[in-house]
Formats: sequence, C-alpha cells, structure tokens
Amino acid sequence: MDHKAIAAKDVSFAYHEGGIRVLRDVSLDIPAQKITAILGPNGTGKTTLLHLMLGLLKPGSGEVLIFGKHHGAYSRREMSQIMGLVPQFESIPFNFTVLEYILLGRSPYLKPFQSPGKEDLQIAEEALTSMGIVGLAGKPVSELSGGERQLVHLARVLAQRTKILLLDEPTAHLDLENQNRILNLLVELTERGITIVLTTHDPNVAVYAAENFVLVNEGRIYVEGGLDTVITPENLSTMYNVPIHVENADGHTMVVMDKNG
Amino acid sequence: MRRRSGKQVFIVLGVGTLVILLASVFLGRYPRPYWMPPRLLLEDELARRLVFSLRVPRLLTALLLGMTLSATGAVLQMVFRNPLVEPGFMGVTQGAAFGAALSILWLGKHPLVIELSATLFGLIGLFGSYFLSRRLRFGGWVLRLVLSGVAVSALFSAGVGILKYVADPLTQLPEITFWLLGGLWGVTWQNFWYVLPFALAGLLTMFLMRWRVNLLSLKDETAFSLGASTNRERMVLLFASVTATAALTSISGIIGWVGLIVPHIARRLVGASADTSIPVAMLLGGIFTMLSDDIARSLLAGEIPLGILTSAIGALLFMYLMISMGIKVRA
Repeated sequence: MDHKAIAAKDVSFAYHEGGIRVLRDVSLDIPAQKITAILGPNGTGKTTLLHLMLGLLKPGSGEVLIFGKHHGAYSRREMSQIMGLVPQFESIPFNFTVLEYILLGRSPYLKPFQSPGKEDLQIAEEALTSMGIVGLAGKPVSELSGGERQLVHLARVLAQRTKILLLDEPTAHLDLENQNRILNLLVELTERGITIVLTTHDPNVAVYAAENFVLVNEGRIYVEGGLDTVITPENLSTMYNVPIHVENADGHTMVVMDKNG
Repeated sequence: MRRRSGKQVFIVLGVGTLVILLASVFLGRYPRPYWMPPRLLLEDELARRLVFSLRVPRLLTALLLGMTLSATGAVLQMVFRNPLVEPGFMGVTQGAAFGAALSILWLGKHPLVIELSATLFGLIGLFGSYFLSRRLRFGGWVLRLVLSGVAVSALFSAGVGILKYVADPLTQLPEITFWLLGGLWGVTWQNFWYVLPFALAGLLTMFLMRWRVNLLSLKDETAFSLGASTNRERMVLLFASVTATAALTSISGIIGWVGLIVPHIARRLVGASADTSIPVAMLLGGIFTMLSDDIARSLLAGEIPLGILTSAIGALLFMYLMISMGIKVRA
C-alpha cells in the first residue's frame, strides 16, 4: 500500500472568490495506517482542511491526492467506500433509532433504490459491539447523552468500513472515560490498517493517540512531523499564545499550561 | 415512544385502504342519504352509471391525492430538515393554484393545459421559497423556510386575487372560486387518466428512494461523505414530488394540512426512518383523504368543499399533536 494516504500540495482555499483565503499554500502528507492529529486554535481552518480532504470543497489552487489520485479519479460511491467523516456538529433532525442511524453508514454499498439488508444489519451490529454500545441499538437518538451521541456517530462511520476516517474534534464532548475509550479504539483501528485524521484543539488528546502531528495556525501549516519535532514548548507557546510546558512523566508526554507565565 | 413493527402497521393500513375504497363506492346520497345497497348495482341503471362514471374515478383520485400530498409532505420535511413544511407552506400549492387559474382564464381549459400550467407554477413556488430562504440572514433554518414559503405563497395568492378580479364574473369567476375552495366534485375519468402518470411517477420515485431520504435528512457534509450526490438527489425527489402534487392540485384545488399532519402521524406510528414512514404516510394519507371526501360528498345535501374539511380536521389534529408533544421543533 502507498505509504501516503492523503497528500496536499500547495493548497489554497477561499470560501468566496476573491475573499479571505482560509488556507494558504498548505502542503502536507498523511501517512497511511497511522493517526494524524491536526492541532490548532479555534478558527484556523482545521475543518476546512478536512472538507478539502473529503472532496466536499475543491481547492482554489494546488491539489489533494487520495492514495496518489485526484478526487475526480474516483466515483462518489468509490470515494465514500474509501473515506468517512464524522463532523464536529453532527445533527440528526429526525428521531431515528440508533440502529437505523448506524445503518446509514452502509449507504456506500447500496444501490440507489436499495434499503439495507441482512448483511448490512450484521455489520451495523458489529460496529455497535466494537463501540460497546449494543444496548443502545433500539434507543431513539433524541434520548442519547452527549457522550453516547459521539459513540454512535463513530459507530456509524465504522459501519461504513472505510480505509480513511476523518474525525472533526472526536473527543470534544466526552468525559475522560469515554475520551480514553475512543482514543484507544482509534489506536486499535490503525493496527487493523485504517488511516485516521482527527482535528483537536487539545494537545493532550493529540499526544495520547497520534503518531503524526500537524500544527495549523491562521491558515498555514506551522510545523508537521513526529512527536519530538512538533510537540515542543516553543511551537505550542507560539501557536496558542500562552506559555506552555511539555513534561515527561512515566514515559508519557504531557502538555501543561504554565501558571507562572 | 411506542413503536409498532412496520410490517404490522403496513398490513393493517393496506387492508384498511382497500376496505374503505370498496365501502366508499356505496357511500353517498343516492338513492337516499349515506348508504346504497350493493344489489342496486345489478338492478338500477342510474346507480351503475353513478358509481362507475362518477364515484369510482373520484375515489381513485382522492386516494392518489392523499397519497401524493402525504408522501410529498414527508419528503419535503425530511429533505429540508424541517418538520413544519408541507406543500401548502412551501409555495407549491399556491403556485399551482395561480397556474391553474391563469390557465382557466387565458391559456385554455383543457385539463392537460391546466395541469401543466399548475405544475410549472408549483415548481416556481417551491424553488422561489427555497432560494429566498437561503438568502435570509436571520433566524434558524426552520423559521427561514417557513417565512419564505409564507411570503411566496402570499405573492401567488395575491396573483390569484388579481386573476379573480379580472375574470368574467358570470363564467370564469365561479369556476375559479369553487376550484380554489378545493374539492373533487367535478372529477371525471378523463381527469383521472391525465393525472395518473404524473402521480404514479412521483409516488414511485418517492417510494423507491425512500431510504435515501434518510440520508438526505443529514447535514450536507455527512450525506456527501456517505456517497450521496446531495443536490442531484434532492432535485430528483423535489421535481418528482412537486410535479405530482401540482398535477393533482390542478384538479382538486387547494387541499391543505394533509401533507403536514399525515407524515407526523406516520412517524409516530412506525418511527422516523423514511424506509417505513413514507409508505405508511402514503397509505394513511390515502385513507384520510378518501374518508374526508366521503364526508364532503355525503354529510349534507350540498357538497362541503374538501379543502375546508381537511383544513378543519388537520388543524385540530395539529393542535392535539402540538399539545401532546408529538411535534418537536428546534427553531
């Protein structure tokens, strides 16, 4: 397999022609079968970057390659079998049951007029099992807690069985236990050959799970690479505009704010 | 929330539809109010003519009308992610009414011409409301769409008002006025055959794409990531459903509230998934409209306009559903 799952070359993007460029000359490689964390303050273009990778947005200049090929080389159906997305604010306006919602993840494998069948049901149930939420299957989505909701969204994208997962702030609404559970699960997924790109504004989430890091600031890539090159006090302090320490405790890296400035 | 299995509900409603369809053939005011003994079909030439050339096409049209309005309402609600829309709130019905009135006045009274004109203006109404709502810069999506629909509908009903004003008060005006009240009294086999292909195409499209409708109710980026061609699929669904609705509106006039209330009841019965709720809405809508039309033509010596009945019943049901929390909206 190509060692680069996604590659962006000199990508610039503006939501309106001639408007402010949200991203400027962004070049980066997303290594396959690893977790890449895109870090940065709020409003720096992390979500836009994910949408460009997904193909929902098209770069104004530059190019995005998925396994070495342009989005245009894939059909909508093929693309949706390769890459799945969990947006940060996934709203479900109608009161589906959890199982009905997760079955929507099977859509890339169904014909235009087809409803999910037995096999799809089985895959959806497997996704529920791996998220540890089998008990929620029959529950209406309106009755879920914030944490349960996030687990359900992830189960939906697992049922999609894609090689690449794009997760926009996957741990934002979670307590520590659920956060831990999800991050461990993501690591497990990479061992099964899945590539994960997640955005987060919390460096500790990134440090816990990711192997590859991209710091985005004001629409530019500030720095990218492994833990030691990217997660340094200098980089983080500049990015977040607050003094930050990087500590090492029992072999775990921790990012802490410096109280004394 | 209680949910019955889709299959059970479907069987009950399917049988119910057939029973009501058959029973309605014998409901009416001939030879005396309310019930015609079936043996009259064999004995009485007038009864036979009445049943086969008036009641049967009318009943079938009522069935199609109810199915189409309800399914269209369900599709609009889900595709626009807005539980408060229905063809009547989205400029479709008023647009179709304007098109039909325009046709009665100037373009010609051939049923097919009226139908096409109604369809064209129904589509203009829908897309007008939609694009207007996209340009509003305040309020939530639910509110913006409803406001735009109300504004576009008002514009079309003003247009209808002008047409009524210039219409010949002896010939055209009564025709337009009665037609606007909404009813199926003049339906002939010819009318039925002309709308049948539009209605069937719309119903079939909505039925076949019903599971996709779930997908389209999600946010655009999610639907996109799941492989949907969101804009194209929405257009196909909207075009098919609005064409069917407008074609039927061209013979029925304005029949309100069916498209709003029936999908809510359907979701209450079998859950939100369009996979089951759209077929259930179709059958429920058919039953609701057939029964309403039965009352419209049988209850009093003079006919009660169907549109008035469905509005009255629909609005009451809506009040009940709102109070009992069957309708939840985040505006």
